Amino acid sequence: MRAHLTGILQKLWPTTTKAHTAVVLAAMGSVVFFPAFALDFTAPANRPIKVPAGGYVSSDSCRACHPGNYASWHDSYHRTMTQVAGPKNIPAAMAGLERSFDGWDYRVELREGKYFARKRPQAGAAHSWSGPQQIVLLTGSHHLQIFWLETGEGRTLVQFPFAYLVAEKSWAPVVQTFLLPPDAVNFYAAGEWNGACMDCHVTQGRSRFVEGDKFDSQVGEFGIACEACHSEGAEHIARNHNPLRRYALHLGDKPDATIANPERMKTAEAALACGQCHSVWAFNNMADKIAWNQEGGSFRPGQSDLQQRFVVQPNTPDHAGQKKMIQDTNPHFMGDRFWGDGMIRVTGRELNGTLASPCAQGGEFSCLSCHELHPKDLNKAEEKAWTTGQLKRGMDGDTACLQCHTKMKTEIVAHSHHAAGSEGSRCQNCHMPHTTYGLLRGIRSHQVSSPTVGESQQHGRPNACNLCHLDKPLAWTAEKLTAWYRQPLPPLSADDREIAAGVRWLVSGDAGQRALVAWGMGWAPAQLAAGRDWFYPFLGATLTDPYAAVRFDAWKSLRTLPGFEDFAFDYTVGEAGQKTAATAAAQNWLNKVRRADAIYPPGVILDAGGNFRQDIYQRLRSQRNHSKIFLAE
Amino acid sequence: MNTSDRQLRFGWWALLAYLTLGIALEALHAFKSGWYLDVGHEMRRLMFTLAHAHGTLLALVNIAAGLTARSVKGFELSPPAAWSLRWAALLLPAGFFLGGIVIHDGDPGIGIFLVPVGALLLLHGVGRVARDLARVQR
Repeated sequence: MRAHLTGILQKLWPTTTKAHTAVVLAAMGSVVFFPAFALDFTAPANRPIKVPAGGYVSSDSCRACHPGNYASWHDSYHRTMTQVAGPKNIPAAMAGLERSFDGWDYRVELREGKYFARKRPQAGAAHSWSGPQQIVLLTGSHHLQIFWLETGEGRTLVQFPFAYLVAEKSWAPVVQTFLLPPDAVNFYAAGEWNGACMDCHVTQGRSRFVEGDKFDSQVGEFGIACEACHSEGAEHIARNHNPLRRYALHLGDKPDATIANPERMKTAEAALACGQCHSVWAFNNMADKIAWNQEGGSFRPGQSDLQQRFVVQPNTPDHAGQKKMIQDTNPHFMGDRFWGDGMIRVTGRELNGTLASPCAQGGEFSCLSCHELHPKDLNKAEEKAWTTGQLKRGMDGDTACLQCHTKMKTEIVAHSHHAAGSEGSRCQNCHMPHTTYGLLRGIRSHQVSSPTVGESQQHGRPNACNLCHLDKPLAWTAEKLTAWYRQPLPPLSADDREIAAGVRWLVSGDAGQRALVAWGMGWAPAQLAAGRDWFYPFLGATLTDPYAAVRFDAWKSLRTLPGFEDFAFDYTVGEAGQKTAATAAAQNWLNKVRRADAIYPPGVILDAGGNFRQDIYQRLRSQRNHSKIFLAE
Repeated sequence: MNTSDRQLRFGWWALLAYLTLGIALEALHAFKSGWYLDVGHEMRRLMFTLAHAHGTLLALVNIAAGLTARSVKGFELSPPAAWSLRWAALLLPAGFFLGGIVIHDGDPGIGIFLVPVGALLLLHGVGRVARDLARVQR
């Protein structure tokens, strides 16, 4: 064959030698055998895979023309919401991790760049370790990372039971990273990532249920990428190969009709582009859910409703039949997500709040009034700051509100009755208080509202005034609101008049209230307004709270107080460890940290020595609301 | 001043100008200018780099054309060729430079439309020189 080929080549190129023929043969061989090499790069079978569908082309195609936007998006936590697991994004400490939870020992091994988890009955024999399950995906990168294991059932995933707390550089059972009842040991069953999480944690996911627990899931792109908010990019790219078209768009004022751009949408549609995920939503019916799971969502940014789904607002008349069915099927559904008056109380569902805000009624208010998803002109330092809240420049202050409420610019002091520049004069501290909870912290409500005492009395939601003035009783707040804003004075009990609202929420409140106040005691404006001398004993005692999330918040807030900066506490330990830590905290405070001139406001039920007034404390403690709280983030 | 002298004078002044631009770009690197180096301004950086590179090269082409006219017996740089080479050395780099001042994400500003004009002049100038050289009696 070689001689034959040499003959042919010599006809074409008379100087061809045998050596030249060998080179040509080698090249031909490479072409023939290339598919065999390529097999090494075929998609893995043990996890969901990236398969763009329809007109989805993935962010790789956007970079060339939108480098600045791409760069800031690439640095955002949206991109890393879901990642294929690997040494670059798995915490280094995970290799060799050994942990026990709920009667099982777990260990993680690193082999050839891949991580594997094994488990056995707690303290079981060495041979009782299960076979290795590869860690194939991970969720989150900002506050918390959750890991997903192969199951051997197609692309179905199951959760690794421990999460990594990024700031704390520590591990905790996943169930203890949510506000869940203490007896909860399992949050996600096998297949729930495929059946539920991927609805919003990837771009254009398709669960593709097969049978039993088996899924054959595909995604347009892991994480929240360009096309999640801009819709399919194929036509946009094809049409804009033409430079004349591009320059007509650059130099003109018309929007490019081939791509969705939330910035140019009407406010309701723009908000829905974010709210397709950032809302409490439900499927219209089972047929829509099945279609969604097989083909992916039919909603495209720019549309005015969610197509196969709807935003669940407890107090609106729409979708009454579906909402009744939800309530019948899961009586806790609303309570796990909303305060009694319908205000959203879990994080990640901001659209429910903005839709219910008076601001939304004006038609000019959307997520993009304050947020910017991929600024293109930030330097590295600015970009790092931006990633936390993805706020537009300056929107972390009063400007966010004053851009519309322009008259208020000169009336803030008169309106707020607080000194200019003080925390009490900040718009967001009164109108967007930290009454939403998630990711183990209090988060600003996105339902813009004005504080009332009624919201606390009737629905248990800490009001904005007392989230700063934790040391003041509700009566104090009621009197101020009556005097300043002519709010009617509500009926007030003896405790409303005498005991600090913060104390009552922390001692008698339900776990949701306790978590917000425990977190709030670490919030600088509250420490400034309420004084922090009296926080110590309360936070120390809260280290034994039955809810892990409340213990975590108490510990984090305790560490913000002088003398406790290095206070160590594993909030996942059992009751004995909790009591030991609480005792250590009390002793440290009483013997080392407590100041002789410490101030204990009258409502905080401490005597002059800083000890609990036991009669009142025990009474409040006995009144604690033990309702099971499950905040469904 | 004959054509070759004019071409040499133009070439050397152009070389000075485009090398100065190159040094200015290096200064932007030295001071880490975000306007030039940030990821969102990739296109500006590319355009300015191309302006510097093309300008320098075309200045050298003009010098080479002047020297060719002096060193090849019987060859004279025709005025259209000389004119085309000089304008190419102005329009091509200017197109890249202006295109980099205002950018549209991944597209340069409209100054970029000077580039194809300059490119045509360059082709014309080089083609004329090549043709005229081929016609010179050996």
